[in-house]
Amino acid sequence: MARKEPVVFFIGWNACINCGACVAVCPQDAGFISAFDTIAVNTPCDIVCMACEKICPVSTITHQKANERHETHAA
Amino acid sequence: MATPVYDILIIGSGPAGATSARFAAKMGLKVLLIDKRQELGAPIQCSGAVSRHALEEAGVEPNAEFIHEDIYGFSIYNQEGKSTVIDYREIKPDEYGKGDERKPLGYVVDRRRFDRYLMTQAERAGVEVWLKTEGLGYTPGKDGSCEVQLRRFNRLLKVKAKVLVGADGLQSQAGKWANLRTHIPLRNLASCLQFIVDGVETNGLLEIITGHRWAPGGYAWVFPKGNGYTEIGLGVVRTMTNRDAQWHLDQFIQKSFFKERFKNARILEIQGGGVPLAAPLRTQYADNLILVGDAARHVNPITGGGIHTALSGGRIAGEFLAELIQSGKKTGKANLKSYQDRWLEAGGHKIWQLYGEKTAIFRNKDIHLRDEQLYQTMSGYFSPDSTYKKI
Repeated sequence: MARKEPVVFFIGWNACINCGACVAVCPQDAGFISAFDTIAVNTPCDIVCMACEKICPVSTITHQKANERHETHAA
Repeated sequence: MATPVYDILIIGSGPAGATSARFAAKMGLKVLLIDKRQELGAPIQCSGAVSRHALEEAGVEPNAEFIHEDIYGFSIYNQEGKSTVIDYREIKPDEYGKGDERKPLGYVVDRRRFDRYLMTQAERAGVEVWLKTEGLGYTPGKDGSCEVQLRRFNRLLKVKAKVLVGADGLQSQAGKWANLRTHIPLRNLASCLQFIVDGVETNGLLEIITGHRWAPGGYAWVFPKGNGYTEIGLGVVRTMTNRDAQWHLDQFIQKSFFKERFKNARILEIQGGGVPLAAPLRTQYADNLILVGDAARHVNPITGGGIHTALSGGRIAGEFLAELIQSGKKTGKANLKSYQDRWLEAGGHKIWQLYGEKTAIFRNKDIHLRDEQLYQTMSGYFSPDSTYKKI
């Protein structure tokens, strides 16, 4: 099976309720977190299970392929 | 600066961490309790229901400082609105109710005030508390203690402790530092959202609404929240639905048998979180480390309730560590295993049984049958003669 392409997650902070569910469901090692208690936003994820996007109660997590990342999202 | 040395360092001042700290300090240990937040309990990720028994068992006096509203029983609904009412004011009128000699069955608490209250009780028992302090990692050392790396108001520092207690919640990093298997699969984590609303009446009961149509994999709830406010929320399991919790909550409010009751609801607060409907961790200890509360998945997998289990687990952890450390024994994983054994004995085995029941219900592919089973199980769970009454 081909390795999945790494992605970088993007969080729409306007809708984020800081619930931490994305971190709880994340299979990454310790430290894959942002300063706002969400999954990391500046680090490529190579597991690409998308559990964080699915668990989000308000669907505010999206992603881009790491190698196609554009700096278009205002933080 | 010389490295500060403590008997135990606890990461996370929620109900589990603060209770571990209080019991350990009462028994004479030197305890440091840290939390990365500036204000405990916020943002709220919890509905706040807890039994009076659970508070008393953990030596917590019910106090107006943190109680939103008194609770006297339950009302369990099926998908169509048929209900089983378990009101202790009717079952045992001499014991439960308002006024002299009678008491509530439980409470809905304000987690901001509740967590702060528990931290205060720990401080008064002699615990040192540092807010705005996060744990970055830990290293077991050759001298039998461990070094914990911290960041406090941006300043990096190290602390030594015989045992590190990971009470850092569902998002626990402490367990990951020790390479414990802490990961919760998507099918075992409910995605929850709740609104605190004005304009919806309640009657001192915790109302639980089952049924795949409203909350696939979980349930919806309507809880009294004090001052005439009400909490309407639900949890869904995302392997069982393509829609998120927000969509399901909107459906529940606008289309369920409660839509008339909810039509004047005005949203005052929005809260959410992940609730583990999971098994406890199989290994809750490592060298110089134990986990407690949500971090160890000390949560009731049928109801998702975690305050009672955090308080009782915290007490066990605090007392166990005081006994172990004061006996002069080593704090490697061989001795810390007894903490988990004691926890299993005191109620952990029952949580495993509940996990088995929950798994059996949701393994059922027939949605209608599964809904009926969940309704019966919930109704049975809260009945006065339930064997799980005190979990």
